[in-house]
Amino acid sequence: MSDRELEGEGGYWPEQIAELEKRRADVAEMGGAANIERQHGAGRLTIRERIDALTDAGSFREVGSIAGTGEYDENLKLKKLTPATYVAGSARINGRPVAIGGEDFTVRGGTSFGAMRRKGGQGGYIEDLAHHYKMPLVNLIDGAGGTVTSAKRRGYVVFPGVDGFERSVELLGEVPVVSAVMGTAAGGPAGRAILSHFSVMVEGSSQIFAAGPPVVKRSLGQEITKEDLGGPKVAVNKAGSIHNAAATEEDAFEQIRRFLSFMPQNVWELPPVLPVDDPVDRMEDDLLGIVPDKRTQPYDMKKLVGMVVDRDSAFEIRPTFGKAVITMLARLGGRPVGIVANNPKIYGGAMDADAARKQIHFMELCDTFHIPLVFFVDVPGFMVGLKAETEGTLREGMRAVYMAGQLKVPTLTLVIRKCYGMAGMATCNKNDIDLKIAWPSGEWGSLPVEGGVAAAFRREIAAAEDPKAREKELETELRAYSSPFRTAEALAVEEIIDPRETRPLLCEYIALAESRLKITLGPRAKAGVAP
Amino acid sequence: MATTEVTSEVIGSVWKVEMSEGDSVAEGDLIMILESMKMEIPVEAPVAGTLAEIKVKPEDSVEEDQVLCLIES
Repeated sequence: MSDRELEGEGGYWPEQIAELEKRRADVAEMGGAANIERQHGAGRLTIRERIDALTDAGSFREVGSIAGTGEYDENLKLKKLTPATYVAGSARINGRPVAIGGEDFTVRGGTSFGAMRRKGGQGGYIEDLAHHYKMPLVNLIDGAGGTVTSAKRRGYVVFPGVDGFERSVELLGEVPVVSAVMGTAAGGPAGRAILSHFSVMVEGSSQIFAAGPPVVKRSLGQEITKEDLGGPKVAVNKAGSIHNAAATEEDAFEQIRRFLSFMPQNVWELPPVLPVDDPVDRMEDDLLGIVPDKRTQPYDMKKLVGMVVDRDSAFEIRPTFGKAVITMLARLGGRPVGIVANNPKIYGGAMDADAARKQIHFMELCDTFHIPLVFFVDVPGFMVGLKAETEGTLREGMRAVYMAGQLKVPTLTLVIRKCYGMAGMATCNKNDIDLKIAWPSGEWGSLPVEGGVAAAFRREIAAAEDPKAREKELETELRAYSSPFRTAEALAVEEIIDPRETRPLLCEYIALAESRLKITLGPRAKAGVAP
Repeated sequence: MATTEVTSEVIGSVWKVEMSEGDSVAEGDLIMILESMKMEIPVEAPVAGTLAEIKVKPEDSVEEDQVLCLIES
């Protein structure tokens, strides 16, 4: 009896439809009630709950939904289908399409799943979907990658990179990639979290490392907990491996939605402009008094930036890493901008190696996705001292200068107070119109007068009757030349403004930049060898 | 009762200590001022409570993450 002859008896394809339903029902059980309960007990959602919580209601369209491992009876009839360890598909976030996937920890702890085609991770379907359909990729990571038991199943061991990161690397130049670490990530999944434009991990329930405590114990004889080895205190605050920490999974989802709200769908599209109710010509009186008269007193740069950009629009990336510089996505007149602001509260804003790394990544991010940059400058130079030199501040700092020298995106430089030396050069884009706007509190030079005087007039100071007094005298004499107005006379800084005029001016230029952004869309060119 | 360690965010030295042990503090109160990179770096109370112990004095050198004082709350 052919399948066709079943028509009219039990309807079309009744056995096959029943089998599809059976397979779907099996898959819906994930790794079983006990494993789901254990996942919840650890304060974690399942992968399906995560996708539902992050994306627009009902928008998830799964792919590979019945991929898995079938168990059959002696007549080759399906007894039970165990789902693959990864759930993938397309969905919408605030109405915009994304490719989304993540490990199902309830199935074999989310370890890699051997199949004809991977669902996600290292060149799986989900990376291909983001690539071919040019939409953002969201990785929800909850797995430790390969397991040695797969060698037994396969009969041989795989060479590294057979399922490689080529596609993940390619995506970084094409579409926004975000990763949330929502469990213990090691191996391949940990690598994927790093190959992202924005990553977040959940405090208390997530850790990330190249290898976990058992491997550390075996290799180095050191006993360490997974939280001490790869919790957010290390991975976010010290190493900068992951950008932001989140208090809860819901907080992580909110940060992902926030990040994506600034991003275009891909490098061939403009970033989304939103309607804004904060007037572009708003003059903020409090800006006038924010910078103290006394040059040695710091002020709250985050508060300052918050007063300029669209109200409540600022989203800080890496708030606890490389704190001498602040990096934020924000909006000016509804248009996305990247803010790079020096933080006078940390080493007077001096650029150290971590701050340089943070600034470099952020500049590349904005340049890639055609998000104009605004520098809020108060930088006395590179960080000094043995610790800074040992950490490679000079090299990392010059990499920041190198990266600034390659920017193609419209860039505005707003000098709040200090702008000195090579770190100061990393706040300007010479490929652009190089508009430098200064507040009257601005001061600049190749190096600050203090210290500079001691070095340049060493002999003269030493020979003086009262060396201290002579040094002060020379400082006063040279400082007289450092009025910002004298530089503006020479058009060596293009404009000096009343601080209250900052928002209207920046909004105006960011709006003007739109025509230019339109003709520079597409992938970012790569050039040269970074120092 | 919880003890909060107030740590230095910078390498530098202690310039002025503005409070004494036993003082009660509100969140954001200025406890001491450090000097680093020719800047005055304020150390503010991260939580309200009582200043239980001050571990540094003026002119002491401080390292990043060094505990400067303890607040009990």
